[in-house]
Order: sequence, then structure tokens, then C-alpha cells
Amino acid sequence: MTIWRRSAISILSVVSVLALWQLAGTLRWVDPLLLPAPSEVLQTAVFLAANGYQQVPLWQHIFVSVARALAAFFVAVLVGIPLGLLMGLNASLDAALDPFIQFLRPLPKIALIPLTVVWFGIGETSKFFLIFIACFLSVVVGASAAVLNVQRDRIRAAKLLGADRWQIFRFVIIPHTLPELFTSVRLSIGIGWTALIAAELVAATAGLGWMVLNAGNYLRTDIVILGILLLGIIGYALDLMLVLAQKHFVPWAGKDA
Amino acid sequence: MSGEARVTIRLEGVDKFFGGKTAGGANGGTLALKDISLELTEGEFVCLLGPSGCGKSTILNLIAGFDRPTSGEVLVNGTAVEKPTPERGMVFQQPTLFPWLTVIDNVTFGPRMLGVARCDYLPPARKYLRNMGLEGFENHYPWQLSGGMCQRVALARAWISSPGILLMDEPFGALDAQTRLMMQELLVNIWESARTTILFVTHDVDEALYLADRVLVMSARPGRIVRNFTVPGNRPRDIENLASDPSMMEIRRDVLRCVRDEVRKSMEHSTHDSVSV
Ligand SMILES: Nc1ncnc2c1ncn2[C@@H]1O[C@H](COP(=O)(O)OP(=O)(O)OP(=O)(O)O)[C@@H](O)[C@H]1O
Ligand SMILES: [Mg+2]
Repeated sequence: MTIWRRSAISILSVVSVLALWQLAGTLRWVDPLLLPAPSEVLQTAVFLAANGYQQVPLWQHIFVSVARALAAFFVAVLVGIPLGLLMGLNASLDAALDPFIQFLRPLPKIALIPLTVVWFGIGETSKFFLIFIACFLSVVVGASAAVLNVQRDRIRAAKLLGADRWQIFRFVIIPHTLPELFTSVRLSIGIGWTALIAAELVAATAGLGWMVLNAGNYLRTDIVILGILLLGIIGYALDLMLVLAQKHFVPWAGKDA
Repeated sequence: MSGEARVTIRLEGVDKFFGGKTAGGANGGTLALKDISLELTEGEFVCLLGPSGCGKSTILNLIAGFDRPTSGEVLVNGTAVEKPTPERGMVFQQPTLFPWLTVIDNVTFGPRMLGVARCDYLPPARKYLRNMGLEGFENHYPWQLSGGMCQRVALARAWISSPGILLMDEPFGALDAQTRLMMQELLVNIWESARTTILFVTHDVDEALYLADRVLVMSARPGRIVRNFTVPGNRPRDIENLASDPSMMEIRRDVLRCVRDEVRKSMEHSTHDSVSV
């Protein structure tokens, strides 16, 4: 299937669902309190853009959430990738840290909220920590697995050609793991975006996650749906950016010779 | 060959034991090689034949310096092998090229790692690419080439460091028959001008007889060298008519029989193993 055909089908499918949804609202098939129509959500969006939600402008809710997620995400990638690579290269380090990582990784991060509040209070630190820990664990695991997948014969070939340990790391292992690193970073930005909601459960006064939860308390389903749409679209955009970056920086991904 | 045939590779009474996962357990490991002794003189082309799992790759790995013998000695030019060095090149069954580098960057990987000046490695790299029929592909990536072309790049990459010894582990095993013939001719042509000492592992008796000065046949595991055939006939050999060449018929039959016997023994071994379990 060509990319154009594919995109055309996708767009058509989205438009049809939106139309059906709108129809369901206009014809009163469903109670607007349960599912407000797209037109109502749009009106809400326009209103919130002008007047803000709970004294905070809409753009600021968006900005606060994106800033929280990205800050924690960048630190997690910056620390997690080197640590993961080291674990992949050094079996002892891996053996020492792996039990903790395997224990924490599947743990629902919401369970950590009470502790983070006790430790860090209800300020930005605890939110940063929750998003960070979620991204960090997934990046570390991805990076150490990537190193173990490096083909042994390729390293041997490099050794015979005279590369020393550092050169093998820099010129063979790093480029070899880059495609997988990109993939695990992509996964982790999704995980971080998910953790954002958990983080904003911790007594926030702004942010998209908080806006959704808060509006739910007042049965403002239109605002809830607007928040969900924004969270989804932003998450999708972040992922798309990483996909494009991957295509640009590691064109050899998935191509072996 | 000149009078003073200098020994380049010498294995003396080499055993190789791979320890099992359970130390001291019944299934505690594999004796891969038993009492291997062999010698290659400078510029010699020797093929190694034997059933799968008999330890051919293990021998190459020992000579390359990736692994140490359990007992015995592995000597290259009279000194014990300690670690891999550019003095010994290797070509694997898979080309093991670096997909993030262009053809020319793959070929010049060795000299670049050693800090050789660009003006010193580019001309020979271009020369090798031309010899390999890869002119015009310098800036392609490996994944844009066919399997045979990739293996030629790998050959050029190994050869550019001018290794005294080239170890080849079934380098043409994954190629189709036509490409394999072309690669064999190419290899012999380059070897005849470079006179590198080559130890070449293969499963293909005709390939061995076309390429080699000598053919060594190994036994089933634990691997021992059971026969040493000297291939008659002057070079250049005629690749197309080799199989029907009368001087070759006899040795071809002998080598085939010897290899078959060993393969049969290895099969009987493994069925016997599985029955007794
Ligand atoms: N690193 C290792 N650890 C344990 N056993 C090994 C190791 N490498 C090889 N062996 C064993 O040693 C024996 C010889 O292996 P080797 O790879 O040298 O065989 P081969 O002759 O190259 O076989 P093939 O023709 O299939 O490539 C095999 O039984 C194999 O299982
Ligand atoms: Mg092998």
C-alpha cells in the first residue's frame, strides 16, 4: 500500500468516527453529560483558550505538563542510557543492579505516590521524580539489552582490524545499539507521558492531567474529553518527532549486512 | 615455492575443552579439539574440511587469538598467540560489515582505527575495491549491496591491513553457486599476487580442491586431523573443468570418501548419544 493511500484511509476513518460522534450528539442519541459532541468540545476549547481553567490559562496547563514530562524525560535519558550501556558491557554491574530494576519496573508507579509525597512534599520535585523513575527504568533496560544484541563476530572483526576497547565501544557498539536506543527512548516517552497523570494526581494546581481529574470532579465531561484529546495529540506528536529523528539519524535501523 | 619454506602457523598438541555450565556435572562440557598439530608455511593456501561441529571454527578462533587452547601451543611466526592483531585477518560466513558506514568507510575501518593518514589508506582502498569489481559503489551502504558484493567488501576490508595470515570461516557458504565460483576465482587471483598465508574452512570438497595447496580433513568431535592431502596440478587451475580433470579425479574421490566417513561417524555418534540418553 502506498503511503498516500494509507494516509487517505486513515484520514477518512478518523473523519467518519468524528462525524458519527457529532451525529450522536446532535440527534441526542446519548446524554451530552456522558459524551459531549465534538462541536461542544470545540466550544469549550475556545472558551478555555480565552478564559483559562480555574484561573490558569489553557496554554499554561499544556506548557506545565509538557515541561514536567520533557524535563524528567531528558534527565532520565541522559542518565539512563549511559548506565544501561555500562550494565550491558559489565556483567557484574548488571548482576548488582538488575534485581532492583526488575522489581521496580513492573511496579505501578501510582503505588509510589504516598512515599514520594512524604519524601519530596507536594511540589514539583515529587512530580519530576515520578515521571523520571518511570522513563529511567525503561531506558536502562532497553539500553542494556541493546548492548547484548551486538553481533559477536562484528566485534571480533573490529578487534582483528586493530580497534582497541574504546574504539570498539565508540565505533561499533554505539552505532550498533543506536536504533534500539531510539526505540527504547520512544517507548519511554510514552511511559513518561502516562506517568504524568500519576504525577499530577499529587496535589497539583495546573497541568493537563490535573485539569482532567479536576474537571471530572465537577462532571465537566467536555473539559475531560478536551484534556484527553490534548494529552493524546501531544503524546502522538512527541512520538512522531522521535520517529522522524530516528529515520534521520539512524537510517541503518533494521538493515543488517 | 622457494627453498626456505618458513613456518607461519604452527599448532602443537592443541586440546580445547569448553567448560559446561554445571561445573563438575555429568554434562560438564565439550572436548572440541584433541591433540591437533598442524603447520602452514608462508604463502600457503590450506583448506580445512570436516563434519559440522568438529572444531574448525574453534581452530580459527585459536589462531586469531579470540580464544586460548586448554593445552598445547598456538604459534604464529614462532611466538605464542596472545590476542587478536591486524597481522591476522578474518572473513566470516556473514560479511559482518558495519551497516552505518559506506563501502569505502568499511574497507578503511582498520587503517582508520590505527591512525593511518588518509592519503596513505585511500589509494590502496580504491585499488582493492577496483580489484573486487566494486568501483562506483564506494558511497553505497552495505544494505544496498548483494550478498556477494558484501562479502567482497569484507574481503577488501580484511586485506587492506596486509595481514600475513588470512583466516576464512566458510566465507562463501551463504552465496549462490554462480557467485561462489566467481568469488573463488577472485580470491585465488588476489592470493597469487599477495601471497598471504590462508587457512580456509569449507564444507565443499570441490571448493577446497580448486583453492588449496593442501587439504586437511578433520574427524568428528573431538576434532583431530585425520588426513592431509596435497593437491596436485599446476596453477592457475581451471575452475570449470576441475571436477573432470583426470589428475584430480583420484584425489577428489579420496577426499570425498574421507570426509563422508567422518560425517557418517559424527551422525552415528549423535544418534547413539540421543538413544543412550
Ligand atoms: N564458546 C563455546 N562454548 C561451548 N562450546 C563451544 C563453544 N564454541 C564451540 N563449542 C563446541 O565446540 C565444538 C566445535 O565447534 P566449532 O564451532 O568449532 O565447530 P565447526 O567445525 O566450526 O562446526 P560448523 O561446521 O558447524 O561451523 C562444538 O561441539 C561446539 O558445540
Ligand atoms: Mg564453524
